[in-house]
Formats: sequence, structure tokens, C-alpha cells
Amino acid sequence: MKRSGIATASLLGVAGVFLTLWTFPVLWALLTSFKSERDVLAYPPTLIFTPTLGNYRDVLFGATTILPNLISSFVVATFTTVLTMLLAIPAAYALARLNLPGKRAGGFYILATQMLPPVGLIIPYFLFLQKIGWLDSYKGMTLIYLTFSLPFAIWLLVSYFEDIPREMEEAALIDRAGRMRAFLYVVLPQVRGGIAVTVIFVFLNAWNEFLFAVVLGGNNVRQVTVAMFNFISVEQTLWAKLAAAAIVTMAPVILLGLFAQRHIVKGLTVGAVKGGGRR
Amino acid sequence: MTDRDKHTKTEQINHGRRDVLRTAAVLGVGAVAAPYLIRTARAQAADLGAYTSAKINWRQAEGEQITVGVIPAGYFDNLVSLSQEFEALTGIKVRFEKIPPGQVRQKAMLDLSSKTGTYATVATDCMYYPLYAVNKWVEPLDTYLNDTSLTDPSWFQYNDIHKAWRDANTVDGKPYAIPYDGEMTVQVYRKDLYDAKGLKPAETLEQFVENAKALHDPSNRLWGAALRGFAGAGQNMYIYPSIFRSYGGNWMSGDKIQVNSKEATDSLDWYVDTLTKYAPQAVRNWNWPDIADAFAQGTLGAYIDAHSSAAVLNNSEKSKVIGKIGFARWPKGPAGKRVTSIWNWGFPINAALSPKAKQATWMFISWAAAAETQARTSWKFAGPVKRSGLNRLSIWKSPEFGKLLDASGYNFGEASLQSLELDTDVDWRPRVPQWPALGEAMATGIQAALVGQKKSKEALDEAQARIDAIMKG
Amino acid sequence: MQTPVAARERRFAIYLFLPAFLVLLVTTTVPLIYLAWTSVNRVDLTSPWIKGFAGADNYSKMLGDPRFWNSLELTVIYTGTTVVLQMLIGLGLALLVLQIPRGQGILRVAAIIPIVLAPVVVGLFWRTLVLAPDFGVLDFVMRALGFGSHDWLGDPNLALASVIVIHTWQWTPFAFLVILASLSSLPPDIFEAARIDRASSVQRFWYITLPLIRPALVIVVIMRMMVALSAFAAIFAATGGGPGSATEILNLYTYRTSFTELNFGYGAALAMVLLAVTLLVSYSMFRLRTAR
Repeated sequence: MKRSGIATASLLGVAGVFLTLWTFPVLWALLTSFKSERDVLAYPPTLIFTPTLGNYRDVLFGATTILPNLISSFVVATFTTVLTMLLAIPAAYALARLNLPGKRAGGFYILATQMLPPVGLIIPYFLFLQKIGWLDSYKGMTLIYLTFSLPFAIWLLVSYFEDIPREMEEAALIDRAGRMRAFLYVVLPQVRGGIAVTVIFVFLNAWNEFLFAVVLGGNNVRQVTVAMFNFISVEQTLWAKLAAAAIVTMAPVILLGLFAQRHIVKGLTVGAVKGGGRR
Repeated sequence: MTDRDKHTKTEQINHGRRDVLRTAAVLGVGAVAAPYLIRTARAQAADLGAYTSAKINWRQAEGEQITVGVIPAGYFDNLVSLSQEFEALTGIKVRFEKIPPGQVRQKAMLDLSSKTGTYATVATDCMYYPLYAVNKWVEPLDTYLNDTSLTDPSWFQYNDIHKAWRDANTVDGKPYAIPYDGEMTVQVYRKDLYDAKGLKPAETLEQFVENAKALHDPSNRLWGAALRGFAGAGQNMYIYPSIFRSYGGNWMSGDKIQVNSKEATDSLDWYVDTLTKYAPQAVRNWNWPDIADAFAQGTLGAYIDAHSSAAVLNNSEKSKVIGKIGFARWPKGPAGKRVTSIWNWGFPINAALSPKAKQATWMFISWAAAAETQARTSWKFAGPVKRSGLNRLSIWKSPEFGKLLDASGYNFGEASLQSLELDTDVDWRPRVPQWPALGEAMATGIQAALVGQKKSKEALDEAQARIDAIMKG
Repeated sequence: MQTPVAARERRFAIYLFLPAFLVLLVTTTVPLIYLAWTSVNRVDLTSPWIKGFAGADNYSKMLGDPRFWNSLELTVIYTGTTVVLQMLIGLGLALLVLQIPRGQGILRVAAIIPIVLAPVVVGLFWRTLVLAPDFGVLDFVMRALGFGSHDWLGDPNLALASVIVIHTWQWTPFAFLVILASLSSLPPDIFEAARIDRASSVQRFWYITLPLIRPALVIVVIMRMMVALSAFAAIFAATGGGPGSATEILNLYTYRTSFTELNFGYGAALAMVLLAVTLLVSYSMFRLRTAR
């Protein structure tokens, strides 16, 4: 393949522009988080300033600490992930590989539950949780998070289960190993990668959720996405602290994203790349 | 395990932790502030004499536990940090929940309407009581004020609380909440720039525009004036009613709400024109913090907003205009009157509580609204933020508070107090149960006019149609 | 005819599927029925004295409600533009990046960043740190380039464009990554053959590449549409639906009706319409996918 240097340069240029676009807002937030409030308000914006860790100190340990909120987010996201996986793995397997009665309808039902508008469901959820006394509790929040994480996880896993060669399982069955053992010891190890991808996505979605968190949480369970709002519009906007809080909130998911980069791309593309022949 | 048991258990855990950490950490008060707060808490712990002089039994609801909803704001933080004193006084456990300001009403109303009594009381904006009262969600408080076992009238001095605020929290002759903190709108101007040009703070809306014109110099980053433009019942519908009323507008025409009268259109035109000509372009999406930030950076000649924004203007970490600020009352409108805002955070009593919990909640409210607590959260407060929205006239006139106010800028105390005493207008905004929907419809319409999406008349006609539909139900 | 083994397998399948199914039934279907019921009732907290069954009133009210039509129109514009932009930019960039000899990895990593962020945080920091006049970095760049300062979220026309840009910024990487992966998985010999046939690069793209990655593209379109139709948090944080009702897509209007105006009945009806729109769109997209 021959191409002129100019063409290559312009290709790199375009790629560079997008690289900048995608990272710059985050880098700008990072920069802002090291400024004092006075430097943030400086006009025109300054690139040279005395960096301070004060915002991080306040955001993590000071009067406006979001540490408890980070813990809330972590607990909810972890519970949600564990429960989702426990329910979704068997269900996805049944849908993908077993002779489940009403398979088509079941699959469609799960797909359809993903389309419910969350805005419409908050009021029923609120009343429901209030009735059983689960408002502002980890169990209540986790239960409601299942409503969006479970259908998503099932569908993602189904496509992984469909990828395993059937012979493996059949070999196990001929060995008279029970279905359950075949599932646990033969099938599951095959979809390890798929499970890892699903775990990452379920965790990310739970970490990032806002609407349910705001209405169904409270003092005991207040995730960091909600706590962020306390940096604006009470008495004044604390720009630099908001930036620091945003960075602290984004850091875990960005790290997770970078660390599991390959898995994420795979998760995004699964189904799509295969041409998605299912149902 | 019943629900109540669970609560008790959580409380025990919390209580144990509180014993270790004392006040500061549990209450969400910062590590920086902690040492002297602990000192204050200890110093004042024994000093309950100012309360025990009341001829009531403060411990009548001992052992109760109540949850109080507040927003995260300095004026509530100060109260929260004193809650140990309250617990020592009454034996009632109080658990504060800080709810983000955008969600506080929604949460309170979901709780009230489903009648589960999660919150004993939530700090509430005075425009919501007509709705709460008609739904019987909160208790009428006249019985509490008149019951001498609950209230010692000569000690509590209910009538010392600002009349405008008491009236704002009253529906059909009955008070539904006791004001804790509040504010009024005043004119804020750059005294240095005004003096240099020989300008006087505006007496009329016309002069306000002339002053703005005289200072307006956007190429040097100085805009003549600003007013909140952000959409919201507490944002642009917090400023517009003052203009509307000072144009002689009336919300009611017969028994119907009318928002598209001639006065309405004229006053909205003034609002739109002033902002279009003399305010930074972004102002139409600005809320109070943005305006205060801009003024503190020295980019505004004048603005009209809550007196409490003086705290931001005098924050040495950010402000470049300390010592250059002057204050004045609202300018008069064409109808010849000045109309300031009426706003207070009051505490009502959730009607879904048990009788004992209601009693405990009243003890809390009496304590929070008491003159002594007001002082202890203001000039007597050890932390950096001293409240300026105190609820009592006697305190406003006290030298201690006066000293605090005078530090905020030229004429601050006097302008604020005169606004409070002379410029409040109980019909400032339409006090009807449908206010949440109505205020929102108005706010959306006003913003549409401010951003030039619609002409004033058209925007108000549309708001009128929407309001008619709301009122018809 | 069922053999005992088959029957056992069916039972086993049911056992595995049932827990998830029951959880979803309780947590999604029951609330949905409640929502549907609320939508045919008068539930308005600001007028508690009028309540009860309302039949189709809440639905017929929509016909004469300009804000509803506005929100529906905005939903169509928002979904349409964001999906088209994501697809065009994603596809174009993926095709370009394939030509880059090295450094693809960096771009892949950078593309992950927007995807993993919480939409509400994205909306919040675009509003404060990027788009805010005077403080925002974009505003600063625009001024430096001589385009002047603009009130990106305060001007009704710019505000809609701004929230579209925010959404596109966050989700184009998704389209880009999927398409890139899809392109990389194509067998290289097809292109070799075409090159020998002296097909132009445009022809190669149009007649070979595009049909091959079509299934992937359709899936991406479907997924992007679903996300765009349920977009809420980023707009909520950036504009709250304003100024006026300039960015009030159906989701935002439903939220404001239910939680600011406290008209739960009408809010529920709006949510039902949103559900209908989502189902309709996804149904037709799936039809499109199977009809080759």
C-alpha cells in the first residue's frame, strides 16, 4: 500500500483531533480540580497557576466530603453486580442452549423489559419500596437496579453462550454427568470471558445511574452521582470542588475502562460483529 | 424484626459512633471545622439556661427519634452542628438528612402524599403551604402555639418573628410552619463605580436602567446590570413577581388567576429589555450563584437578588469587590411601590406522625426558631459562616447582629431591614395550592421570553392557557 | 412426543430461567400495570379534591398540549440527529483509522473514556467546565478563534445543538469501536480480489465493505436509538429541559410533569406514550434488520 506522506499526516491529524476531543474535557476537569476557586474564575482562563490539592482534601475528607457517597456507590454497584450475575447466568443459559418452553416469548419479554421508560417507573417504585420499608436502603436500591441490569446482562450473556461449541456439552452429557454439572463445570468455564465483560458493564451501569438514586435514596444510601449536585446552586457554585468531585467519581470507571479495555470493546461488539443471527 | 426495631438498631449504632466522634464527623461538619465546634459544643453544653427559662417541660417527648430534612446550606449546617444541645435539652434524638435542593420538595411531597411519616419535618418554602394545607399533609400550628404545655408564649415570642414570613406561612388564618431562616431581595451595586460617576442607587426601575446604561461597557468586561434568568419557580419567578407587582399587576382577576394582563406584559418587557441590553448574555440561564460570582469578579455594575448573597460577595477566597459594595432597597415601579421577595425556610409538622412524635417535632421547631438558637447560629456561632437570615425583628435590631450586617457592605443592614419591614407584599406571588405547577408554567414562559424564543405577550398568553388548564383541573 | 430426557431438560431449563423471570415480573411488569392504571386516572397532587377514573382524558389532553407536541418533535430531532451523527462520524473515523499504520491503540483507549462516564456527570461538567460562558473551555476556544462568546445552553437554538453535541460526544466512540472491530474482522482477501479487479476505493466501499458490515451497522443503530430515546440524565444536568422548553424531550417533559407539576396521572400517560414510541421504533428497526 503506497500513500503519500501528506495523506498519512492528515489521517494522523484527524485521529489526533478526535483523540483530543474525547480526552480534553476530562483533562480540563483534571486541570480545574487543581485550581483555587479564585483561579477558576480568572479571566481569561489561566494555564499557569499554583496547583493546590485543597479541593481533593475537601472533597474527600472535608466539610463537603463525598467519601460516604463513593462507598454507597460501590456497595450498590457491587450488590447489583453479584445478584444480577447469579440470576442472569442460569437464565441466559436456559435461553441460549436449553429446550426452554416458550423460549421465544421469554426472550422477547426480557428484551421488552429493557424498553420501559425509567421516568415512568419511579413513582411505582417509590410507593412499592415505601410500602415494604425499603426506601433509602441498600436492598431496595439493589432490587430496583436489577430492573435494568438483569435484562441487559441476560442478553449479553446469551450471545456468549451461543458461541460455545455444542459438542463440549454433549460430551459431558454422554458421560452421564448431570445437566447441572455440565453447566457448572463444562459450560461456565467456556464463557468466563463473557461473564467478565458482563460484570464490567453491569458494574459501570450501576455506578453511573442517577435517576433512581436521586428519588429512592436518602441519607443512608446516597450515591456519588447524586452527591455531585451539592456542589452547585445552594449558596454558590464551587467550581473547583465540583471538578475535583467529578474526577474522583470518574476515576474508578476510567481506570476500570482502561484496564479492561479489550473486554469492553468485545462486550460492545458482541452480537454486532457476529452479524447477530439470533431470533 | 419490625421496621421500628430496625430503626432503633440503626440508631444505636449511630449513637455509639456519635459517642466516639462527638458532634463533628457524624453531622457532616468538616474536619477543618471540627476542633472548635467540639469546643463550642462543650462550652455550650452546660449552658441551656436560655432555654430552661421557658415554662414548658422540654423533656416531654424524651426518647423519641425524629428525622429532619434540610438542604445542604451554611445556615442549616450551623443548626445541625448544635443538635447535641437540642438532644441534651430534650432527650429527643434528631437525625438530619441533607437533601439536594433540586430534590427537596419532590422528596418531601412523595413522603407526605404517601403518609408514611419518614420525615418529621422538612424545611419548606412558604409557597407550598396552601397545597400542604389543602391536602391536610401538615398540622395547623395554632393549637401548638396556644397550648401552654407546649409553648410558653412570653418566652417563645411568636409575634417577634417577621410578620411577612408568618403571614407567608399562614393559610386561612392558621400558621402551618414556623420560619427558621429567610431572605429578601435587595439592590446590590458597585459603590466605587457609582461614586466615580456620581450615580445614586436607583430609586425607580427607570433609574436602574439608566445607571446600568451609564456603567455598561462590555468590551472592558463590565455589564450594567443582571437579574436571575434561569427558569424555575424559585429563580426567574422569584424576581419577576416583584417587577410585576411594582407595575401594579394583580395575580387575581375576580377569582381567576390572570398572568397576561397589560401590567404583566409591560413588566415582562422591562425584564427582557433590561437583561437584553445591559446584562451578560449568559444571564438568561443564570441562577443566584452565577450572578453573585459575576459580581464578585467585578463584572457587574448592579443586580437585584437575595440579601444573603452578600456572603459570597464578601468571601475573601473568591471576591475582588470586598469594600466596594453598596446596598439599597428595590427600585420603585411605575405604580410607585417597591416590592421585595418574601421567602423563608420554615418547619411544618408532618400530619402522618404519631402524637408523641408530633410533640417531639414541635420541641425541635420551638428550639430551632427560638431567639437563642437564632443567635447561636449567627453572631454567636464559632464557625466561619454566620447566618444572616434570622427570623426575628428584635434580633435584627440588636447591636450584635447590626455589627455583623454592617461588615457586609455599605447600607446593608438598613436596606435589608427596611425591605423586610416596608417592602414586603403578601400577594407577591399567587398563593394557591396549584403553585408548583403554576410557578413552573410561568417560569418556563418567562424564560422563553427572556431568551427571545417568544414575545412577552405570546409567552404569557401561552402560560395563561396552561394555567387555565391547571386551575380547571 | 417427549422422551423422559427431554422432559427433564425442560424442567431443568425452567428452574434456571424462573428466578430471573420472577424478579423481572415483580420489578418491571407489576409497576408497568400500575403505571398504565395511573395513566387512566386523575392523580394530581396539586388538586387532590378531584380524583378518580379519567378514562382516556389524560391521553386526549395531549392532543391539545403544545408542550407535548414540542417534546415529541424534539425527541425525534434529538434521536435522529444524534444517531445519524454517531453513525457518520463513527464509520468515517473507523475507515480512516484502519489506514493508520500505528497508534490505533491509543485512539481505542481514548474512545473508552466517554463511554464509561456517568451521563449525569458528563452533563454537569459540560455545563460548568466546557460550555459555561466565561468559564468554559469551549467558550474560551471560540473566543480565541474569533467566533465570539456564545451562551451555549442559554440560547434556545444553541441549547438543543449543545445537548445533541454532548450526547454525540459521549456515544460516538461506541459506534466507532464497534464498526472498527467489525471492519477489522473482515477477511482481507476480499479486498485483494477487488483491487485486482481495479475497483475504485469508493466502489469497494459501497459494494463490498458496506454490505458486509451492514448487520453490525444495523445493530449499532438500534442500540444507539434505544439509548437516545431513554436519554435523561445528561440533559437534566445540562439544561433541565430549558431554556423554556427548548431541550425538553419527552423524557424530560414526563419528569417535569410528574415531579415538578406533580400531575402523576398525566405524567403516567406521557410515560406510556414514551413506551409506545420506543416499542414502535424498536419493532420497526428489528423488522428492518431481518428484511435484507
